[in-house]
Amino acid sequence: MRPALLIAGKDLRLRFRDRSALVLGFVAPLAIATVMSFAFGGAADFHVTVVVVDRDGGDLAAALTSVLRSDDLQEILTVETADSVAEASRTIDDGDAQAGLVIPEGFTDAVAGPSPKGLEVLTSVDDAIAGQVVRSIASSFTAQLDADRLSVATALAAGAPADDLEALVAAATEERLPVALAEQDTGARPLTALSYYAPGMGIFFLFFAISFTARGWYAEAREGTLERMAAAASTGQILLGKAISVFAYGLASLGTMALVTSVVFGADWGGPLPAATLITAVVLSVVCLTAFVIVVARTERQAEGLSSMLVFGLALLGGNFVVISGAPVLLRRLALITPNGWALRGFVDVSTGPHAMAAVWTPLAGILAFSAVVAAITAALARRMELP
Amino acid sequence: MDRAAADGEGEPARAPLLACSGLVKRFGDRVAVDGVSFAIAPGETYGLLGPNGAGKTTTIRLVCGLLARDGGEVLLDGRPVDRAHADTRSAIGFVPQEVALYPDLSAAENLRFFGRLYGMGGADLDQRVAEVLDLVDLADRAGDRVDTFSGGMKRRLNIGAGLVHRPRLLVLDEPTVGVDPQSRHAILERVQALGSQGMAVLYTTHYMEEAERICDRVGIVDRGRLVAEGTRRELVAHIAEHDHVKLSATGDLAAFAEACRAAEGVSQVDVGAGEVDVVVDDGRRFLPRVVEVAERCGVAISGIEVTEPDLEAVFLHLTGTALRE
Repeated sequence: MRPALLIAGKDLRLRFRDRSALVLGFVAPLAIATVMSFAFGGAADFHVTVVVVDRDGGDLAAALTSVLRSDDLQEILTVETADSVAEASRTIDDGDAQAGLVIPEGFTDAVAGPSPKGLEVLTSVDDAIAGQVVRSIASSFTAQLDADRLSVATALAAGAPADDLEALVAAATEERLPVALAEQDTGARPLTALSYYAPGMGIFFLFFAISFTARGWYAEAREGTLERMAAAASTGQILLGKAISVFAYGLASLGTMALVTSVVFGADWGGPLPAATLITAVVLSVVCLTAFVIVVARTERQAEGLSSMLVFGLALLGGNFVVISGAPVLLRRLALITPNGWALRGFVDVSTGPHAMAAVWTPLAGILAFSAVVAAITAALARRMELP
Repeated sequence: MDRAAADGEGEPARAPLLACSGLVKRFGDRVAVDGVSFAIAPGETYGLLGPNGAGKTTTIRLVCGLLARDGGEVLLDGRPVDRAHADTRSAIGFVPQEVALYPDLSAAENLRFFGRLYGMGGADLDQRVAEVLDLVDLADRAGDRVDTFSGGMKRRLNIGAGLVHRPRLLVLDEPTVGVDPQSRHAILERVQALGSQGMAVLYTTHYMEEAERICDRVGIVDRGRLVAEGTRRELVAHIAEHDHVKLSATGDLAAFAEACRAAEGVSQVDVGAGEVDVVVDDGRRFLPRVVEVAERCGVAISGIEVTEPDLEAVFLHLTGTALRE
């Protein structure tokens, strides 16, 4: 064990003297996670300014405008008015509003007639989501109108006296659509972009340890230091030393990432114990992958190529770049054959749910199963291995 | 004076420290080492001489236990050397052909790391590191990173790293490849000094001059086989070649030539313009007599050049190819 610890200590000393390893392990994941959380993390601050062009001036137009200005929507909507469609378009083009709603002339009067008039939504190419939000609100309003119209028509067809039309309309407007979405608080916290991308980027950059450790193995073989070590220590002791150094480097890298993003930026890693468990497991899987590349590759170039394929393949499949819960079913399933996919699922579960170990066991089992398979293949191949 | 020129006996006089017998190593269908056997006594410097690709490096990797053998045995002090016997491997100091050092570590850090790998530590290691740095003339650069060193300094430290754990056998794999003449001279002097201090040395080279200069005995390796071994004189005797003594002289050269032909051990005498070329068994022993003969014949000698057959000639004779082909 002593030779392995000595080799690990020497490797760590060299690694921490290597600026590129420090950048990859500590600076880059922090920087990229911060940038990505700024890029994708606008959900909590989502707000749309909508320009309303009221060419109707009737009661329904006023009702629609009041819906847009209701308390329920004031957190996400600000309503401005414009006198014409051209003025509204200019406002959107200038970036002062993200969407517009045009209420056509005769909108209120047409409701009682045979051909009601439609609402027009103005959208910005720069903010399609804002247009969709306004379109949804307008659709919801017109759906309620259609239901009211249908109720009154049905009552009249059923023999209700036409003299009671005003009373019927009043009664219909009191009714709400029979099917509506109801919000219920499950106690879950929303997933912030930083809480996803902090572990995502941390794990992604941790994968580069596979590449530089495997390449380092063959560089040491080329430079003769591996052979010199092998004159004093067994191949197993050297491999163990390399594994310990990757493990310690990985823990330091992801641990620092967790600490800094939690304390400085408020990322939620799901509590110390669940986070430490997931971090340890995913670092273990990186150790196994590193040993696998060392055993499979025959040259430094092969090690580099294989590592690159693994790094980007696992990162793409596991969802380090995009929130995997929004991906198609196939991708979500593929993510669960990767250790990072399981780890990110675990981090999401503990950061949006209770900070409890119960949420970690399944992802932990997934990561350990992956590591066990890789370790078994590596061990089988290593039996025939001679130092390069 | 060349150590090989001391004309020692072919076998080590003392009990061998290292004994290799019937070493075999195959890489697929290719036999890299084919039944190599040799022994080295304490204080003896043994050279493995052969061209690149002859199997020298594979042989010493087998000796150091770095490769699994397909046949044969390596014994150090009667105990086997292989991956399973760390105690015998720790009695060997290995100096690879490459500068096997960490450029980002200082000279002292490199030596400490390799010393610790062999189980050293504490004050003993500190003292030994200082000794080795002194030995390789790098004491004043102990704290400097290796990547700031010149090629010669790196080579010297490379040897030092093989010595730090006080091995009984030092194995050097072509330690002067790519080294300037001055550094090469310094390295050879140090290796000679180590041999003089009682350390057994196994030295591989494809430079005939190095083998002649520092090795007590030489094993000639070609295509994985040890084709001959012994002191240089034994190897030269093996091919039955003779020394050439070329004399520049004035006087009755024909009479002088005739008198030389009558001398013992002379096999051929040729006379040219102001020159006489004598082929003799032992040129050095012949010299005192040739001076006497010249005086007797009234010939004035203005120059003498003795050419002995070298290991290059031995290698050519044994393998049919030149050493540097």
